[in-house]
Amino acid sequence: MKARLPLIELLLSGLCLWAAWYYTPAGALVRTAGAWFFRTRSTARPLLAYFGAGTLVPPRVQPPPLAGPVPPQQALAYGAGAVLGWNHTETAPRLRALAQKLGSDDAATLALFCGEESARYAVDEAASQRLEDLARALPPHSEACVARAAQAMMLGGAYALGWPVNETIRVTSPFGVREHPILGGSRLHAGVDLGAAPGTSVRAAAAGVVRRASSDGVNGRIVVLDHGRGVSTMYCHNDSVLVRDGQRVEKGQVIARSGNTGRTTGPHLHYQLDLAGQPADPLRYRAERPRVGAGGAD
Amino acid sequence: MQLDFTGRVARARWVFVPLGLCALAAVGAHAAADVVGDRVLWLVDGVDAFFDALWSKWSLTAPLVDLVGLTQRTWFARAVALAWELAADALVAVPLLGYDERDAAREWGMARDLLRRIRSPLRAVPPLATLLVSVAGACSVARMVQGSVQLALHLGWFSWLLRTAVLLAMLILLTPRAVFRSLEHTAGRRRAAFSVLAAVLLIPLMVAAVLSYR
Repeated sequence: MKARLPLIELLLSGLCLWAAWYYTPAGALVRTAGAWFFRTRSTARPLLAYFGAGTLVPPRVQPPPLAGPVPPQQALAYGAGAVLGWNHTETAPRLRALAQKLGSDDAATLALFCGEESARYAVDEAASQRLEDLARALPPHSEACVARAAQAMMLGGAYALGWPVNETIRVTSPFGVREHPILGGSRLHAGVDLGAAPGTSVRAAAAGVVRRASSDGVNGRIVVLDHGRGVSTMYCHNDSVLVRDGQRVEKGQVIARSGNTGRTTGPHLHYQLDLAGQPADPLRYRAERPRVGAGGAD
Repeated sequence: MQLDFTGRVARARWVFVPLGLCALAAVGAHAAADVVGDRVLWLVDGVDAFFDALWSKWSLTAPLVDLVGLTQRTWFARAVALAWELAADALVAVPLLGYDERDAAREWGMARDLLRRIRSPLRAVPPLATLLVSVAGACSVARMVQGSVQLALHLGWFSWLLRTAVLLAMLILLTPRAVFRSLEHTAGRRRAAFSVLAAVLLIPLMVAAVLSYR
């Protein structure tokens, strides 16, 4: 046995190097440096994507325009369809059947992208049914399909969002690059401005946890909600905030009253959608679009 | 022929054992950092909210609010987690590359001497962190081996057995060496400032490493 010890140590060291190579940002750094040196293409993910079990990569697909309203129970099918390039009518029955077999939407989505056997194994091994935990139970070579499943869940989460104010309230400044009305210069407007009168009820776009309820001179009184699956929404320039840090809120719950606080030219609500920490146009995920008109406050 | 091969492998241990120890600690450090990634985001959000409120009190400092705006906060939080992990790698994993093997009995004797020479609790932090992180690394590697074997061969009992064997082998053959090398490395350092910095970075990592055990 003692004579064979070096072989066992070689095997163990090899396993550690294999795991570090694929699983850690330090390994990704070495892989990227190696690819640069040998002038090849690195297969390593971006360094910051190594957290959250690889489930926090911003969407790579542009969701197709919606033909009609998305029923909340089919939002995930729309998200999976967008990633797979399928129609939601193809993905919805598959997801439903997989969710019945495996016990959760997260596991069903994982099964759709990584195969049923991988998902079943992950369900048996993982600490919870959240995609992040399921992904941690899978070996490193599953990272590509896990990332696609995470994208599908993120887009599904975006499709399931409600609207923070009455839909008759018009959009006074849409998402996109624009001339900043106060600071000047061309800048990205990372959300949409809704011309809500002071005191208008601001509702949670989906169930989630209050990640931040604070006040500052730029955003005014703000609420940031974390809806899970890499989806978060922000509500700025409120007159008052009705929730506190860490509080759990339900979809449609009044979380603030709209106002004119922070750096504004008049009363409005700045509503922002972030997918994996990247701002996204919330109107892209809605079939029912509020009227867009210029001339409102900012 | 086989003995010849084993002999050659034995002669190359000075290369692959330190590399393996370093990789084991790096895997453990990532398992730990990943499990608390979400808490890091909460922490960064809290600190960002505090400073945003502070900066916006004066017109001169108000532009600083935009420095880490709502759009950058997630990116910033993950960058903090990454920087923390890489700093932990530098403190825990990189020193293991200097592992120089001796006779096992002599190594134990030296380890006892080094332990006796630790006078302050701060100096015990790096070896203790190495121990906890190496165990987290062993758990992660064993879990990955199980997953790969199970999904390739579809033999549940075999993959479970292999996971247990890999975990035990790592805990017996690699973890004590990692801790010994960390003790040796810590004994060579004299500056108190370094010990304080290491403790600030490594104590949260130790807690996170324990949380990652499965």
